[in-house]
Amino acid sequence: MKALSLLAACLALQGCASVGVEPWQRDVLARPEMSLDANPIDAAIDDHIYFSKEASSGGRGFGGGGCGCN
Amino acid sequence: MNDDNNLSATLAAATCALLGASAAGPVMAGETDRWSFDTALLYYAESDDRVQDVSATIGAQRAFEDDRLLNLTLTADTLTGASASGAIASDLPQTFTSPSGRAVYSTPAGETPLDDTFLDTRFALNASWTQPLARLYTVSAGLGFSTEYDYTHLGANVSLARDFNKRNTTVSAGLAYSQDDIDPVGGAPVPLSQMLDVGDGSNKLSSDSKDVLDVLLGLTQVLSRNTVLRVNYSYSQSSGYLNDPYKILSVVDGTTGDTILRTPAPGVAGPTGIYLYESRPDSRAKHSLYAEVKHAFGAPVLYGSYRFMTDDWGIDSHTGEVRLRWPVGDASYVEPQLRYYMQSQADFYHPSLVQGAALPAYASADFRLGEFDAVTVGLKFGHRTSGGNEWNARLEYYQQNGSISRDQLIGNQFAREQYPDLKAVIAQFGYRFGL
Repeated sequence: MKALSLLAACLALQGCASVGVEPWQRDVLARPEMSLDANPIDAAIDDHIYFSKEASSGGRGFGGGGCGCN
Repeated sequence: MNDDNNLSATLAAATCALLGASAAGPVMAGETDRWSFDTALLYYAESDDRVQDVSATIGAQRAFEDDRLLNLTLTADTLTGASASGAIASDLPQTFTSPSGRAVYSTPAGETPLDDTFLDTRFALNASWTQPLARLYTVSAGLGFSTEYDYTHLGANVSLARDFNKRNTTVSAGLAYSQDDIDPVGGAPVPLSQMLDVGDGSNKLSSDSKDVLDVLLGLTQVLSRNTVLRVNYSYSQSSGYLNDPYKILSVVDGTTGDTILRTPAPGVAGPTGIYLYESRPDSRAKHSLYAEVKHAFGAPVLYGSYRFMTDDWGIDSHTGEVRLRWPVGDASYVEPQLRYYMQSQADFYHPSLVQGAALPAYASADFRLGEFDAVTVGLKFGHRTSGGNEWNARLEYYQQNGSISRDQLIGNQFAREQYPDLKAVIAQFGYRFGL
């Protein structure tokens, strides 16, 4: 099972090698709003609100701060 | 010492800017030896005088030479208002002992019982350090601390990322551990023990604790010149005290579904019905799969994400979110936001417990462990000033719609509203600037 997962990971990584861009084609990706962490404060606020009101949390990253609200 | 002074001055400046007192210098993205700040004021208010939260957050980031980065986030929250206790509505007024055990509060006939003794202030501080480890590796480590009246959290995390394929692919792995101490107002009640009269604390224990271990595996992939994808798998294991010490369940008649009445001892105030404190398992394992994508259609940027979560309490959830950042003129943007969430109920979710029936090992009537879906619609507006700073405002509306399966309702409960919808408004004002 472990070997199978490792093989799958390697194949996925191999597949990834054929997609992507050259370093000089990163003009759009370099725009601040294209960063996946462009709004960390918004994300933290959302995570905190939904963590206190719903039974799910996390996914995007590690939750910060903890809370007695759930 | 000098650094401390600089830090104090910087934090003071950040506070002033947050209050709109002064405008600071331009943001120099990527420039080293500069602080950049991301601040937000948040107002969260639920309908029917339920929970209200005012919070302020200051995020500070400093870039050093060689791509080293320090991140600090400080948050202060003030919570007031009422919160659903878990007890069901009744045709009679109901009286409950407050969590402190020193007073009572009442709920009018026909209304969902809300505990209005809810009041808290919370401070949270997170710090993280990120730096390259070798040409293609990045390491990040962080510490988190938060404190509120009845709760203290201490956490640490570390993660390692490696780039592949001309940095088009990044694989990361992270580990986080936290230790939380819970010291409930009036003590932690013995699970499934009965709510007692004012002054009787014989079913309350002292403080308790829980620890949480998180593992996160991530893959980020550039798909094209204008598309990037991130997929995360995370596993979270909580153990220890996982109850909400303030949540109760009504004990009801097996035929009518009405709450069993009781009379407080002579000369003492106390509950007018039989209510038991909830009992949750002392461990919980969660698995989440999260994917997000960003795509630029020329200037506009579309963000979409999906999360599936499943845990060993029987809860499955799906979350989808879409945002579209649309430039307006040269310096502004609007961003409509839409989020949809749905969850199934925990195996031990019970709207009420039947008198005389064998007590289950675990039971909770916390609405957050029930079945519901939720929608958030919102709009964000941002504007970049001539100095290069940005202010933004976000307004959102959040609504939960719950449902209780018919086989969990008894007799007269069908005629009453047992799962009132939660509605909330979220308003946020943010300001980003550099020093």
